Amino acid sequence: MASLFPRWMNALPTLVAVATLGGAVAVVSGVTYWFTPKFWEVGYMPDQPGSGFNHQIHAGMLGMDCRYCHTNVENAWDANIPTVSTCIGCHGPNKVLAANTSAPREHDERTEFIRTAYDNGESIPWINVHVIPDYATFPHAVHVQAGVSCYSCHGQIAGMPVVYQAESLSMSWCLDCHRNPEENLVPRDRVTDLLGLEQDWFAKQVDEREYEGVTPAQLIDTLLREPPQHCGACHF
Amino acid sequence: MKPIDQCPSTRGKRDIAEAAPELGKLSGRAYWRSLDEYVGTPAFKEFVEREFPAGASELLESSRRSFLKVMGAGFALAGAATIPGCRRPERHIMTYANQVPEEVIPGKALYYATAMPLPGGGAEGLLVETHTGRPTKIEGNPLHPVNRGRSTALSQASVLDLYDPDRLKYVEYENPVRGRLPATIDDFKAWAGPHFARFDETRGRGLAFIADKKTSPSRDAMRDLVLARWPQARWVAWNAAETRGQIEGTRAAFGRPMRVHHDLRGVRVVLSLDADFMDEGSDSLVNARAFGATRMPMSAGDPMSRLYQVESRPTGTGSIADHRFRLAPSRIAGFVVEVAKALGVEVPAGLDMPAGEDVDLEHVRAIAADLRANQGHAVVIAGPGQPAAVHALVAAINSAAVLGAAGSLVSYMPMHAEEASDASAGLTELTRDMRAGRVDTLVCIDANPLYDAPADVDFAGAWAEVGARVTLSVAANETAAASTWSLNGCHYLEAWGDVEAADGTLSIVQPMIAPLYGPAFSELELLSFLAGPEHGGSAEPDGYDIVAGVWASRLGVQVGDRSFVKQMRQAMHDGMLNGSAVASTAPAPDLAAIEALMTRLTLRPPPSSDHLEVVFHTGRLGDGRHANNGWLQELPELGTQVVWDNPVCMSPKTAEELGLLPRASYRDKYDPYTSGQMPKARVATMTLGGHELDVAVWLFPGMPDNTVACKLGYGRTVSGLVGEGVGWNTYRLRDGNTASARGARLADTGRKFTIVSTQNHWSLEGRTSIVRAMDKPYWDKHGGTVEQIKDEIYGTHTSALTAAEMIGEMSHTPPNVSLYTNPQNRSKDEPDPENTRFSKILKREVKPDFAKGPQWGMSIDLGSCTGCGTCTIACQSENNIPIVGKSEVAKGREMSWVRVDRYFVGDDLNNPDEIIAQPVSCVHCENAPCETVCPVNATVHGPEGTNDMAYNRCIGTRYCANNCPYKVRRFNFFEYGIAKFRGGLDEDYVPESMSEGINEAMREDRTFNQNFIPPRLREKVDEIERMQKNPDVTIRSRGVMEKCSYCIQRINKARQEVKVKGLWNQPDQTGPIPDGFFQAACQQACPSDSIVFGDVLDPNSRVSAARASGRTYMLLGYLNTRPRTTYAMRVRNPNPAIRVYDEHDPLDHGGHDDKHDDGSHEGGHASAFIDSAKRYTDEGYAASLRVLS
Repeated sequence: MASLFPRWMNALPTLVAVATLGGAVAVVSGVTYWFTPKFWEVGYMPDQPGSGFNHQIHAGMLGMDCRYCHTNVENAWDANIPTVSTCIGCHGPNKVLAANTSAPREHDERTEFIRTAYDNGESIPWINVHVIPDYATFPHAVHVQAGVSCYSCHGQIAGMPVVYQAESLSMSWCLDCHRNPEENLVPRDRVTDLLGLEQDWFAKQVDEREYEGVTPAQLIDTLLREPPQHCGACHF
Repeated sequence: MKPIDQCPSTRGKRDIAEAAPELGKLSGRAYWRSLDEYVGTPAFKEFVEREFPAGASELLESSRRSFLKVMGAGFALAGAATIPGCRRPERHIMTYANQVPEEVIPGKALYYATAMPLPGGGAEGLLVETHTGRPTKIEGNPLHPVNRGRSTALSQASVLDLYDPDRLKYVEYENPVRGRLPATIDDFKAWAGPHFARFDETRGRGLAFIADKKTSPSRDAMRDLVLARWPQARWVAWNAAETRGQIEGTRAAFGRPMRVHHDLRGVRVVLSLDADFMDEGSDSLVNARAFGATRMPMSAGDPMSRLYQVESRPTGTGSIADHRFRLAPSRIAGFVVEVAKALGVEVPAGLDMPAGEDVDLEHVRAIAADLRANQGHAVVIAGPGQPAAVHALVAAINSAAVLGAAGSLVSYMPMHAEEASDASAGLTELTRDMRAGRVDTLVCIDANPLYDAPADVDFAGAWAEVGARVTLSVAANETAAASTWSLNGCHYLEAWGDVEAADGTLSIVQPMIAPLYGPAFSELELLSFLAGPEHGGSAEPDGYDIVAGVWASRLGVQVGDRSFVKQMRQAMHDGMLNGSAVASTAPAPDLAAIEALMTRLTLRPPPSSDHLEVVFHTGRLGDGRHANNGWLQELPELGTQVVWDNPVCMSPKTAEELGLLPRASYRDKYDPYTSGQMPKARVATMTLGGHELDVAVWLFPGMPDNTVACKLGYGRTVSGLVGEGVGWNTYRLRDGNTASARGARLADTGRKFTIVSTQNHWSLEGRTSIVRAMDKPYWDKHGGTVEQIKDEIYGTHTSALTAAEMIGEMSHTPPNVSLYTNPQNRSKDEPDPENTRFSKILKREVKPDFAKGPQWGMSIDLGSCTGCGTCTIACQSENNIPIVGKSEVAKGREMSWVRVDRYFVGDDLNNPDEIIAQPVSCVHCENAPCETVCPVNATVHGPEGTNDMAYNRCIGTRYCANNCPYKVRRFNFFEYGIAKFRGGLDEDYVPESMSEGINEAMREDRTFNQNFIPPRLREKVDEIERMQKNPDVTIRSRGVMEKCSYCIQRINKARQEVKVKGLWNQPDQTGPIPDGFFQAACQQACPSDSIVFGDVLDPNSRVSAARASGRTYMLLGYLNTRPRTTYAMRVRNPNPAIRVYDEHDPLDHGGHDDKHDDGSHEGGHASAFIDSAKRYTDEGYAASLRVLS
């Protein structure tokens, strides 16, 4: 009988226990890490039609305000994507801007798709980067009104040559902010000042932040209502 | 249950005839929803004991094989379809290209005013919600004098007609050789030019037009252009459901046809003679608003009106009457003659009402005395179905000094010429010409005479004699399908036009969207094109130019004038030309002419069972033009609650005499489809005036005996996927424009047919005091009294029992003591909880409870609700609620969030004392039973008192629906939201026992039920149909529970708007959202203002005022659910000379052991109720009872 189970078999229960435990830990940690919007969604950077829209140049280097194009962000649920005619305001034929760039010909070539679309009366099929599922709503207007900067959800857009998803946009991520709005509130007149905010507001700890006498604590006080945490606020 | 019910040999053999009611009673009177409930059939009991009817939760046994077949294919394709699904799908954002309309903000709705022309004349002024250019929802125009912000079910549903996927989409030409060919509008123009020019020589002889009858000045102008070019052409303004009584009656009384207006504000006594004045007719909204207000006393002693309703079939208006008399239509003339005599109004000598059991002349005299006593505040209203003599006599009565109604309560305005024209006489003459070959070309504009021509006019036979038949139609219909040229028309939301409302207000019809299937002619454009450029028309007509031209000439200015442009812009904003209402007058009636008309009147004895009387009426589908509108098909018919069919209705007694009682299906073989729960209606052959039709028979308590109600508008053979083969075409029985006819016979065919009615669905299982009512004397006595009880737990609700609550169980149940403390329910006196998470964050105290506003609540008034169903359709439109089809409704799977329950009251099966309608949707309990049983927290409470559904969390256990005492939760058994549904029944899917009696049209082309096809493969809703959906509301998928959300999308939008616009800037956060800032969809639509919604914590809100009334009660309030939707009890104002309803004081329960009539038990207190003397002290006992039960 002694030969039926070799000696090393004595270690089997231990091995099995360790393997099960290790497996369980691996599964749990794997699921926790990989099965999340944070893993799957962050960094989504689709190729936009034409030569895309370079936010780094427009919003960063040229310092254009977000609301120059996203005109309705203060009024509506949707922060609208500008129409082709907004683009053509600067990139139309014989506009001065083309001549002022360092590489006028290259610039003309890169913006040709705008003029083509405009001439044909067609829409440019921009690809949606920040996708909220149909069963959830995100009203831009109230967030901007409350003093949530673009930066909090979209990241440093003004530094992105190609827009990518910087945050997970998961529900727990939403709730993190709704539970601790202090971290993301900025003075209301600086909501779109992404570069400035990154340097002198978000770079500091919450209790050190201060701008022209305004502190996060004061901003909290101006909220008209605590950020909602119930299902019906976003899902209906 | 008696032993006899359990004995297998007797089970199922009980009959209506031998039945004794076994119902719970309130104030000594029985409340029942259907004959099955009245009789207490085993089938009914089984039905109500289940949360969903049997079969609702199971797949079908008999088609398992075909199901597996389809499933197999489904899996195969599903695999193929998922492979590319690994990639993240790309979503595009399509922006406007060049021109952005300045006012268009994506995500924000825009509202434009327009008007919907009503068939036969009149209009509704509407406000249309559009999302980036697509109309999604219809609201009433608050500025319009007819609508004043309200609307009807028909106008609410009309937006679905716009997106009807079966609409005519292109021009079709019937080539004599090659058959039916698609063509273009240019082909038609090329053909029409020379073709119509031929008639110039004959001055139009041989040319005829049939156009939908409407009161539109621009259409009149275009008609005049066409008739100016061809004076000999025949023009028929067609209205299929027309009746002539009012037109001819006013013609006799005043020398010209007049529109009758009623101003019912503050009226005291109304005698309505077969007039459904709150629900029917182009001025029904005006009447509903004015009369509804007189039915809502807020406190004891408030004045209220008294309504005597004499009617030939139960109607919505009749359901709120204080005294309802059922009378065959031909008997009503005699009734009014007797009333006139009793009032001293002259009628020709010798005119007496033949005696009959249906009328007690004492009652007539009592009514006359009441009218006389309220001189100046009393009015008589004659219904459209009554003959001219009745209308003339009513005009004489109203203007008689004894009533003094004319001038104040009743006034008259000249009738639009086309409205007064006789449609059926015109069609008869035209048909004669067609038969004789005198009509070469016939143009049908939005008319469908091949379907709805009267039975005595052989229009279909004459149709073939016409050389060229041109039709313009929006929806697919029989006439268009059989015409030489079928032109696709413009829906009223796609075209310019104008229309006069009932009061003459000139309303503008504005397009909300370019024609979905353009290019298309609107009717104005077609007529202008036909008139041609030489005759004032245009070769390239433009709707706006036509309307502007007509309006400018009406106003006496030039189109280009600055003042006119300004006026036109204002009119487009307001939806009408301000101040264009025609003043109505009260001319003296010509009594001699009326008497002459009366002498020709013969008064008839009551009809008998071998000479039945038939009354024709329209229902949810109007005259049939809305047949392909699924919302209307699935809206339960008022009173019968029948969907998707139009059986003829009669009283149970008549049915018994004729041997047409339904076959109780539990005697049939096992039917897995409905588990034998649906009684089968008998199919009978109806013979009337030489016409025959096989039609199903439905029992309708409240119908006059030996009278049959026949609903028009069903039995369409060409209408599209939804409407084809649904019901029977009862126009085939109707001669000319008769409203009622005598001499019908009904004979059983031996066949049977399944009629689906929702009357037993979502039953509250015989619980009593669900609907409450009290006679006015007792209301005046008790209305102000409240019984104060200690409210230990709650701070947000009245801690008193109102008069209405005292007549229900609340006065018997122990005070609510809960072992579980709902954290959101806190007494006002209780100290605020300290250091909540919010208070820490916000450095300020926050109360996570119902004591902080806004808190939403609703009040529904049973006193003025007629059960018209507008709320159901408004909700369906706002909340993307799907239709499910007849077979699914049969299983109790209808999805409507607002259901309108209908209760019959009283012990008489044939003549219920009362009919009460009660809209029920989720009542948003503060202690919601559904929330505690949801395993995944998919239904939870919001801080503002709403019971929210998180659809994407729901896993479909349906525990919540099981635990809901109100039965308001709806489950998506299939992907209803995106699937197409057919009307009628699918034969292969339906077991033989059920399909027996299905008519032929329905048998064709019904291959399988789409519900059983896996969603991935199922034919999806057209892109076009999807455009109707409200983008603010999630479309629910299969396996998800849903229910009324209190329009939370509107609440959220309003709250955000208030914040963004800075209207809500009180830092204490308790400032209310201004009352009336937004409305729930049902509230917004309700014609009689019966539904009020708002912030219950705001003391100045309308809902607070409504809830403060002593009529307020909570539905099933004794369950301690604390519903946010409360009901206002109905107060009846009976004439004691006729009858009273409450024989003794409903609040006076007498001694403790006396039999009393609150409905909770049959005399003596049952053991389940504790001693009322103990109820304030013995709370522990009460608590234990709650735990045990």
